[in-house]
Amino acid sequence: MNTNSNAYTIIYTTAIVVVVAAVLAFVSQSLKGKQEANEKADTISQMMTAAQFGSKADFQAKGNTAVLAEYAENIAEAFTVNSKGQKIADFDLGKVYSPSELKKLNYIIKGAQDGEAELPVFIFKDSTTVVPVYGAGLWGAIWGYIAFEPDGKTIKGAYFDHESETAGLGSKIKDDVNFQNEFKNEYADFGAEKVFEIVKGGSPKEADGSEIIDNKIDAITGATMTSNGLSEAVSQWLKAYAPYFEGLAPIEEEVAEEAVEETIAEEE
Amino acid sequence: MNANLKETILNPIFKGNPITVLVLGICSSLAVTVTLKGALVMALSVIAVTGISSLILSTLRNTIPSRARIIVQLVVVAMMVILVDQILKSFEATYAIDKQLSVYIGLIITNCIVMGRIEAFALGNKPIPSMLDGIANGVGYGMILLIVAFFRELLGSGTLFGFDVLNRIGYVPNNLVILPPFALILLGCIVWVQRAIQKDLQEK
Amino acid sequence: MEYLSLFVKSIFVDNMIFAYFLGMCSYLAVSKNVKTAAGLGVAVIFVLFVTLPINYMLNEYVLKPGALAWLGSDFANVDLSFLSFIVFIAVIAAIVQIVEMVVEKFSPSLYSALGIFLPLIAVNCAILGGSLFMQQKDFVNIGEATVYSLGSGLGWFLAIVSLAAIRERLSYSNVPAALKGLGITFITVGLMAIAFMTFMGIAL
Repeated sequence: MNTNSNAYTIIYTTAIVVVVAAVLAFVSQSLKGKQEANEKADTISQMMTAAQFGSKADFQAKGNTAVLAEYAENIAEAFTVNSKGQKIADFDLGKVYSPSELKKLNYIIKGAQDGEAELPVFIFKDSTTVVPVYGAGLWGAIWGYIAFEPDGKTIKGAYFDHESETAGLGSKIKDDVNFQNEFKNEYADFGAEKVFEIVKGGSPKEADGSEIIDNKIDAITGATMTSNGLSEAVSQWLKAYAPYFEGLAPIEEEVAEEAVEETIAEEE
Repeated sequence: MNANLKETILNPIFKGNPITVLVLGICSSLAVTVTLKGALVMALSVIAVTGISSLILSTLRNTIPSRARIIVQLVVVAMMVILVDQILKSFEATYAIDKQLSVYIGLIITNCIVMGRIEAFALGNKPIPSMLDGIANGVGYGMILLIVAFFRELLGSGTLFGFDVLNRIGYVPNNLVILPPFALILLGCIVWVQRAIQKDLQEK
Repeated sequence: MEYLSLFVKSIFVDNMIFAYFLGMCSYLAVSKNVKTAAGLGVAVIFVLFVTLPINYMLNEYVLKPGALAWLGSDFANVDLSFLSFIVFIAVIAAIVQIVEMVVEKFSPSLYSALGIFLPLIAVNCAILGGSLFMQQKDFVNIGEATVYSLGSGLGWFLAIVSLAAIRERLSYSNVPAALKGLGITFITVGLMAIAFMTFMGIAL
C-alpha cells in the first residue's frame, strides 16, 4: 500500500479520528455518572462550608455519601425567584447548580442575554439562606456561595472556587480560610450601588484597627485582579437578589440581633 | 536487559533530561510546581501520556501517511490527555486535584516533551522501547518538577504535601517564591548543579 | 480609545512570556542572537495575527453556547465549546502549513531566513494560549480580537528580542562554566519576569 497516496492519507486520517472519537465518547459516557457525583458533592460541600456547617477540608474527608446525607438532613427549602424577588417554583431538594448553570444565569443577570432570570435560593433548617455568585477572575471563571443569617442581611459566611486563578495568590479566594472569614458579620447593603465591595488597600477600620461592620472587606494582597473580579461578581449577583431579600418579612429585630450576638459570642 | 534498553531508560533521567538538557516542557513546570501534590499529579499524567502515546504511535509508525504525520500524532496525544483528565475527574480522591490542574493537564497536548519524543524516538523505534523511552522522559521531567516544587512549597507556603513543616517554627511564608519567576531561577540553579557535576554538558 | 488601551495592555500587562509564561521552549532555544530571535518573533506575530481572528469567528458563530442560533432557532441551545481545543489546534496547524507554502512561493528569501521556525510555531503554546484567552476575554467584535492578536504577538517579539540582546552581551561576561548558556538564561528570564510584574494589574 502506498502510504503516500492522497486516498490513503485521507482514509487513514478519517479512520483515526473516528476511532479516537468513539473511544472518547465511550469513556466519557461510562464515567459521566461518577464525575457528576463528584461535582455535586463538591458543590454541596461548598454551600455547606459557606453556611458554616464545617470546613471544606472536613467535607473533603467525609466522602461523597456522607456529604450528601448531611445535606439532606439539613436542607429545608430550595426554590427559584425572579428578578422582582417573587418565588417562581420549588425545585428538588437534591438539585444543585453546577458552575456551567451559574454561567448561563450570569449571562442573563449581566443583561448579555435575554430571558427571565430564575435565581436559586437555598434555605437550611436553621434558617440560614445561601445564594450563589459567579463572575470572571483573572484567568477564568470564579464562583461561590454567600450565606445569610435569618435577618436576610448579615453575612454568616462565604466560600469561593475558581477555574484557574494564580496558585498562591488569586487561588486564596478558595484556599485561604482567613479571607473567607472576613465576610462573617459584615452585611450586604442591598440599597447601595455596590451591594458589597472587596477593597484594594483595605476597607475602612476602627480607630483601634479592628474591622468596621459594613459592606466592605480587604482585597487579597498581590491578587488585585482576582479580588476585583470577585467584588464585581458578589456585587452584581447580590444586586440581582436584592428584591428578594428586601421583600422578606422583617423578623423580630431582637431575634435577629440575638442570632448575630450568639455567633459572635461563640467565636470568642 | 541489553545495554541499549538500559541506555534508553537511564538517559532521560540525568544526562538527557528533557527539561534541563533538551529544554522541553518548561511552561508547565513553572505553573504546577507551587505544591508537591500538584507536581506529582502532573508528573504522573505526563508519564502516562508520553508512555502510552509513544507505544501507540510506534506501533502505527509504518502505516502513518507522511503528509498527515503531525495531525495523527496530535490526535493520539489529545486522546490520551482527554482520557487522563476524564479519569482524574471520576475518582473522589483525585477530583479536587484535577480541578486545580485542569488547565495544565489540557496543555500537555502542546507539551514539547510528548511531541518531541514521538518525533525523535517513537517514530523510528519498536513499540516497547518507545514506550520505555516515553516513560523514562516522563520520569526525568517529573524528577525536576518535584525538586522545584519541594523548594517552592517549603519556602513559599511553609508546608510539604500540605503538612505544616516550617510553619511550626514560626517561619513566615515567602510570597516571592510562589510566583513563577522564582521557578525559573530555581531551574537555573538546578542546571548549574547538574553541569557542575557533569562537565561535558557545559557550553563553551 | 478602547483599541489603544487594549493594544498597550496586551503588549505589557498581558505579555505572553512574562505574565503567562507561554511559548517558553522556543523562546529559550531561539534567543541566542538578535537576528534569529527577531525572525521567530515576526513569524509569531504573523501566525497570531492570522489565526486569532479566524478562531474568534469560529468561536462566535460555531463554538460558544448559543452560537449556532443563525442556523435556526432549534440550534440556539447547542453548546459546542468542548470542541474548542481541537478546532483551534487544527486551525493553527492548517494556517502554519499554508503560511509556509505561501511564503515559500512568494518570497523564497524570507522563507530561507525563517527556516525551521515556521513549522515550529504550530506547537508554540503562545499561539494556542492566545486563542484560548480570546475565548475567555469575550471581545465585542473582530476588531478587538485583531488588536489583541497584534499586541500579544508584539509582546512576544519584544520579549524574545530583549532576551537575545541580553544573551549576546552576557556571552562576553565572566559567567561560571557550569552556569553558562542555559543556566544563566533561566536566571535572566526569571529576573526579567520579576521586573515585568510591575505591569501586573494595571488598568488602562
